[in-house]
Amino acid sequence: MDELSFTSVGIDIGTSTTKLIVSRLRLGRVSGAFHLPRYEITERELRYASPIYSTPLLSRDEIDMDEVARILRQEYDLIGLSLSEVKSGAVIITGETATKTNARRVVHYLAERSGDFVVAAAGADLEGLLAGKGSGAEQRSRETPGVVANVDIGGGTANVAYFREGRAIGTVTFHVGGRLIRLDEQGCVISVSPHVQGWLPERGLSLTAGRKTTTEQLEAIASAMCGDMLAYLAGEAVDPSFCHLIAGSPPAGPLPEIDELMISGGISTLMANPEVPDTMAAIARYGDIGPLLASFLRRQADKWPFRIVTSSQTVRATVIGAGMQSVEISGSTVHIDPSVLPLRNLPVLHLEYTGMPVEDWSRTADDAMLEAARYALPGAEAPCAIALGGEVIHSYAALQRVARTLLDTYAAHFSGASIMVVVCDHDMAKALGQALSIRCGKRLSIVCIDQIRVERGDYIDIGEPLPGYLVPVVIKTLAFS
Amino acid sequence: MLGQTYQFNSLKEILAKANEEKSGDQLAGIGAADARERIAAKFVLADLTLGEIRNDPLLPPEEDEVSRVIEENVDEAVYSGIRNWSVAELREYILSHKAGPGELERISSGMTSEMIAAVAKLMSNLDLITAASKLRTVTRCNTEIGQRGVLATRAQPNHPSDSIPGIVAALYEALSYGIGDAVIGINPVIDSAESVKAILSATKEVMDRWSIPTQNCVLAHVTTQMRAIEQGAPMDLLFQSLAGTEQGNKGFGVNIRLLDEADGLMRMKRASLGPNHWYFETGQGSELSSYAHFGIDQVTLESRCYGLARQYKPFLVNTVVGFIGPEYLYDSKQVIRAGLEDHFMGKLHGLPMGVDVCYTNHMQAEQNDMENLGVLLTSAGVNFLIGVAMADDCMLNYQSLSFHDLAALRETFGLHPAPAFEEWLVKMGIMADGRLTDAAGDPTLFMG
Amino acid sequence: MGDREKLESLMKSTPARIGVGRAGVRPLTHTMLQFRKDHAAAVDAVYGEVDESILRQLGLFTVETCYGNKETYLKRPDLGRIITDEGMEVIRERCVKQPQIQIVVSDGLSADAITANILDVYPALLDSLRVHDLNPGTSFYVKGGRVACMDHIGEVLQPDALVLLIGERPGLVTARSMSAYMCYKPRKGTIESDRNVISNIHPGGTPPLEAAAHIGTMLRGMLERQTSGTNFY
Repeated sequence: MDELSFTSVGIDIGTSTTKLIVSRLRLGRVSGAFHLPRYEITERELRYASPIYSTPLLSRDEIDMDEVARILRQEYDLIGLSLSEVKSGAVIITGETATKTNARRVVHYLAERSGDFVVAAAGADLEGLLAGKGSGAEQRSRETPGVVANVDIGGGTANVAYFREGRAIGTVTFHVGGRLIRLDEQGCVISVSPHVQGWLPERGLSLTAGRKTTTEQLEAIASAMCGDMLAYLAGEAVDPSFCHLIAGSPPAGPLPEIDELMISGGISTLMANPEVPDTMAAIARYGDIGPLLASFLRRQADKWPFRIVTSSQTVRATVIGAGMQSVEISGSTVHIDPSVLPLRNLPVLHLEYTGMPVEDWSRTADDAMLEAARYALPGAEAPCAIALGGEVIHSYAALQRVARTLLDTYAAHFSGASIMVVVCDHDMAKALGQALSIRCGKRLSIVCIDQIRVERGDYIDIGEPLPGYLVPVVIKTLAFS
Repeated sequence: MLGQTYQFNSLKEILAKANEEKSGDQLAGIGAADARERIAAKFVLADLTLGEIRNDPLLPPEEDEVSRVIEENVDEAVYSGIRNWSVAELREYILSHKAGPGELERISSGMTSEMIAAVAKLMSNLDLITAASKLRTVTRCNTEIGQRGVLATRAQPNHPSDSIPGIVAALYEALSYGIGDAVIGINPVIDSAESVKAILSATKEVMDRWSIPTQNCVLAHVTTQMRAIEQGAPMDLLFQSLAGTEQGNKGFGVNIRLLDEADGLMRMKRASLGPNHWYFETGQGSELSSYAHFGIDQVTLESRCYGLARQYKPFLVNTVVGFIGPEYLYDSKQVIRAGLEDHFMGKLHGLPMGVDVCYTNHMQAEQNDMENLGVLLTSAGVNFLIGVAMADDCMLNYQSLSFHDLAALRETFGLHPAPAFEEWLVKMGIMADGRLTDAAGDPTLFMG
Repeated sequence: MGDREKLESLMKSTPARIGVGRAGVRPLTHTMLQFRKDHAAAVDAVYGEVDESILRQLGLFTVETCYGNKETYLKRPDLGRIITDEGMEVIRERCVKQPQIQIVVSDGLSADAITANILDVYPALLDSLRVHDLNPGTSFYVKGGRVACMDHIGEVLQPDALVLLIGERPGLVTARSMSAYMCYKPRKGTIESDRNVISNIHPGGTPPLEAAAHIGTMLRGMLERQTSGTNFY
């Protein structure tokens, strides 16, 4: 096989909108004829983007799963896409929608029914990263020196992801979004999200659901929201009240210094409009403060030490990230038992090979397994994936020692497991997989893949092999939480 | 002679045995047995007339398309004026003060490649240098090279896995030494249209961003390059390796029909101005390595490559003189000889000759030998030389000349880069008054 | 980025010797000496010999080709393709005939490549054959071998497939690079395009253990499809 392409879908169920994209990913051999085979995704082509649907809700707290499923079915039918054609992709539930009572069920339900290897994804970090990939910020960071950050601002959250030289180096999420304050055209406040309710009084502002408000009041709120967020990203002193708008716990260390800030998401679409919404009707034309936030982001853009650019993929950045950028492929020399694939949602156990004396390393491995046993999937055939990093193994003797240690410690901590999954940082999966396989006999099925980077706290999905023996992989990172 | 009688049964045998010692002729079993037999063959060859050589084809035109091209390109009027010359007379005429560049060009049009090879066999190394230094071939693609006083250079920023950033980094280094005026040429690891296109696009982007007056080329197989150009790759020069027999070219996967087709495609789709758009590479021994030598010696076969090349009016012809290995050119002495022969024969064919002054690590040669050959060829007026970072090609695993070497040759001989390229170097602050400035040699110049 | 950082990022992107500076138009002393040192290692690799104890450790016996001496070996590749009569006798005597897989090791153009890699590659290759249900015959070492000695050996032992681990022409990046040539039913008259190769096997190139692991997959494929070479790739 010199070339192969497959279909990948992305489905994003957001706070205010739901959308679908279909893409075609092309694999090409990137190694010469005299080298070990190596393939990469050489082209990612967007084939179809659905209209933007309003996210159907049954109530304030519940997604209308049947309606979402119906929309997707209708879209698949419309473009003549069958489930078996879809070889990869991701369903992601984003923004405030992720907090709905049935969010988890919906995303897994849809993932199972959207194609052969469509993964369920959720979480603010992952959302930010996918948006940053889909917006082009990740790619931009390969081309320009320094740090490129992407902020994807939608209805419920602003998800920020930082990239340097094509690698994600951090994420942060804010409760900043259009839908957090909903209005009618007369200026009557329909609802204010709890996070904003907590923030307003401390920032010396006020707004009450059910009451009429003024353009001045709204402007003061939008201005403070945008200004504080950008000041925070710029590393400047910011009003202490802003902690209410940081989702989760604030990042432990300082955030990376940004050289370029890319803006995507629904709000970035509105930023294209140069008119300042100065009447209540103009402000509230989508039933929320989105236009006002967009207007302030536009006006405040040149105040900061970083360049602000808008993404070419505005409203669809996250769904494009999910559909086109979520999947990676393993190295082509791997050792797998295809009958046990696909494997989904495996928590990652991190282990570094250091070349230290074998007794010491076996203790390290033992500790890592012990720790992993706490978050591994209890009683599962494959309770976790072992990510093996550290030094490359070039000696046969060392390879045997590593294989033996892995098998012994795995057996000690996961006695019920029937599958062992190893994800190597370096190009050594086939050699290690064969060593494991010979040693364990028929006791375990081995899935040993490489050239995939996973971090502590990630989850991994491994699909069925594509021709040429490589496997599609989706990493769901929680690494920055 | 010398108390021994020698008998030669064919022109083929005389030509082979008259060669200076080459391990390739020995491997083929056609070289002279000893020094005396070699000289005896040279005596016999000296007295043969050009007519006798033409009338006894080594490989009949009916059986070989390279022979046909060589035959068809002979200007009969010129030939009839020289057909009665002996090879000795031809040598003396070429070396005489009567024969200036214009005159040499004229008689060249009446000669076959075999005649040119024959005369090279009667020349000493300094003969080859003296004769070649009279000849100049100016060609133009985007820019012009080959003028008197110019030593052009190919930047060869190869990378072991075709990594674009790696190729670009080595290219920056080359440019910062004033290297790359003949061509920015990359040998790819992966022979695919996508890969060729990606490398061409990347080099073109550097050329565009810094307005560099030169040409780009990726040395993949001609059919791969044709696919790349069909896909819109920005290609200035089209590359192909040539052999001196139809069978040898078959080994390279080419024939004249294919070359003609590629030539037509370039006329329509090349990214360069032209009119010259070919880059050919040759090298003694390639026919034997593909069992396509028909008992003909490697100098004569090399000359026949040039007979084929001149049909296409190339922008560059490069003999990769020491790449092939010790079974063809055993040591530095043989490499130096071959480099001077090839350069002379190519020039007398009217070709823009360059040389990849190089060796592999299993040859009896080292870097000093290459520096020597670099000096000899520069004094012979070579059109261009190949430059690799510190002479070490990390992809092809052989050594050529370094960027430093090429800069040193220019400086020592008072030679210049191609005029447009030198103008650009001055604008960039890399060169002033014909020398590298303090800013030169810093690849980060191009990162801004 | 600072200038030093910029230079480092360029140097990191390629093994080419860039960012080396200059003295006038000549290289700096240590750059020049480093180059000479690497060339010396390459030359020594060509003229070196494989450590006997390594061959003993792997249980490989030795036969020679008709190469005679190193100079002839370099000038006459044809002689390195033929095993001596004595060698052939030993092979006939000691080797399993018509094995599924025949493994041959040879110095080729770099004895150092074998010395440096074979202790890791050979056992990993045996594992790979086992994982792929392939049975090796009796392995041995060929001194003064060229790639096409596969054909001469194939003619006599008649294996289904043969893999030759042989030292490559040394470069300056490494003098210890090995190739694995594979061929389905190599016999007299087999041509180059009938063989497959994994090249550049050394710790800085194609990872030796991974290469060994992949050879089994390739051989298994050759046996299943009953072909090798350009048809197989």
